[in-house]
Amino acid sequence: MRRLAGAAVVVAVAALALPAGALAHATLERESPSFRERVETAPRSVRLNFSESVDPVALSVRVYTARGRVVSGRPRLLDAGRIVQTPLRKLDRGAYTVRWQVLASDGHVTSGVYTFGVHVAAPPPTAAFGASGPTRTEDIVRWAYFLSLALLLGGLAFRLIVLRGPLPARVERRSLLVSGIGAFATIQVGILAFILRAEDALQLPFGRLLYGDLAPIANGTRFGTAFIAMTLGYALVTAFVFLGWLTDRAAFFWTALVLGLGFASGLSLSGHSAVDAGASWKSQLADWVHLSAAMLWIGGLVQLGAVVWPLAPELRRRAFLGFSRLATVLIGALLLAGIYLSVLRLPQVSDLWKTGYGHVLLVKLALVALALAWGAAHRFLAAPRVSAGSGRLRRSLVGESLVGMAVLLAAAVLVDSQPPVQPPREPPRAVSR
Amino acid sequence: MQPPAEHVHWLFATGFLILGLLLLAEAIVGTEVWRRRAWRAYLFPGTLFLMGVLMWPVMTFFTSSTIHLLAHGAWAEVMMAAGAAELALVRGKLHSPLWRAMVALAFLVSGTALLIHEQNPWLYQRSSFLHHALGWLLVATAIVPLARVFRPRSVSLGSAFALVFVVIAVMLYSDRDVAPIFGHLAPTAGAPHR
Repeated sequence: MRRLAGAAVVVAVAALALPAGALAHATLERESPSFRERVETAPRSVRLNFSESVDPVALSVRVYTARGRVVSGRPRLLDAGRIVQTPLRKLDRGAYTVRWQVLASDGHVTSGVYTFGVHVAAPPPTAAFGASGPTRTEDIVRWAYFLSLALLLGGLAFRLIVLRGPLPARVERRSLLVSGIGAFATIQVGILAFILRAEDALQLPFGRLLYGDLAPIANGTRFGTAFIAMTLGYALVTAFVFLGWLTDRAAFFWTALVLGLGFASGLSLSGHSAVDAGASWKSQLADWVHLSAAMLWIGGLVQLGAVVWPLAPELRRRAFLGFSRLATVLIGALLLAGIYLSVLRLPQVSDLWKTGYGHVLLVKLALVALALAWGAAHRFLAAPRVSAGSGRLRRSLVGESLVGMAVLLAAAVLVDSQPPVQPPREPPRAVSR
Repeated sequence: MQPPAEHVHWLFATGFLILGLLLLAEAIVGTEVWRRRAWRAYLFPGTLFLMGVLMWPVMTFFTSSTIHLLAHGAWAEVMMAAGAAELALVRGKLHSPLWRAMVALAFLVSGTALLIHEQNPWLYQRSSFLHHALGWLLVATAIVPLARVFRPRSVSLGSAFALVFVVIAVMLYSDRDVAPIFGHLAPTAGAPHR
């Protein structure tokens, strides 16, 4: 036994002491022009400094104009392969995209993208030339994100506002399970959404995307900043939901709900309401109110249909009437904010049927109208029957929930669509006397 | 400004050392004595859960590659899940001893993540050696928390479980890209950059 231990020590020391073949993947340490830099003098070349030497085989550095014209020459290696210098043609005023790919000595290819501007501001990497913009997959992922938030925030709000106080164990368990699934899914889907956006910016197959440099997207775009804040935020929210379940203290659930609603603003602060023409703190606030109201409404419907109705017949009346009151407020806020945002984003009414954004909005409005009509039927026709102690409503509640989820899908497509271009403002006319 | 990677590794090494010492103390005095003070039962799972929460900033800020992001995210999630399961067992919210297998699962997932995201071979540089060693250690020693599910009172298993955390801590403390002894093992590993 001692000999074996001694031999193991000798082998370990020898392994640490003896040199081995060099295999690594190269990471970009510095670039010139630098990431999203606005330069006043057109550069003559692009220099990329890597952590390790790179191989001339499969070396590629291309610089594109905003319209896709290649303005770079053949790259060459300097400083024992650590620096890649690519000559440029004379650059005009405009934004440029640099797409690079290098092969390190272990055979792993690393790639990246960044932008710079000559006399103009450079766009974020997600809007670089070659990025195709949001895909159908991203629309579905965005929809899943909205659904996750609805399960999480709507579930918590339902528990805290509609069904206050102690509940039967089976109801408590399922209610928190639904919220917990929402919390878990929010984090996973958020990560997936970020990776998909990075994939679009980098334009790499998945195998090479694993070694793609995500820092420019994470640190240099609103989407990336929102991803960082929301991932951290919803990890904290998940912790608070767990602590609330563990200790049976409502204070943790309230904290989770408030934080969760707060961090949902990341979507509003990184979307159309923050960056498009006409964006202001009012549009961002309206967007957040619109989104939050929708989450709470749809999440509450799920709690009603999936938790209360099947498990606690004795709570149906209280839950239904309580949720009806809450939903009235939520619908009011949702409609007001939605109308404001629609007026802001559609310069003309005809944009509704003349533009792609308008078409999607029309579909969403139709679904919203259906959901509102269904909700109104519950509120004014079903409520008296529930008050009287009767009413088979589970299927109807599930139906309204499904329509609500369809609204979220339309919303996800809208978020990834480009609103109609705002007409330029006319300059003030001088008054002739 | 981001701290150097090794500082973050040392921070988590301290966390693992604390976990190991807590478990060692419990193994030495016995669970009954350890839990005479009810709050002591929460120390190990609470620390593990907190470390999982603290891993999330590492995941979001160290985005040098997709695979790093995913590996750190996996560690954050499994540490939170394992800590949560143990906390719930202590609190009485969960009753089945099978929930203790969450720690074994955390070991397996963590070890696999380490092995997958380290693309250099063992002898490229010190951190590569440690990634491989740590990865295989976690995969192999996942049997220890699994065995504890069926033998919760075993002193040997309890001590072994504690020592695994201490060894993890020592390995993480040893991580340094540039070191006077056994830093870069191959000259082509590149010049020291810190």
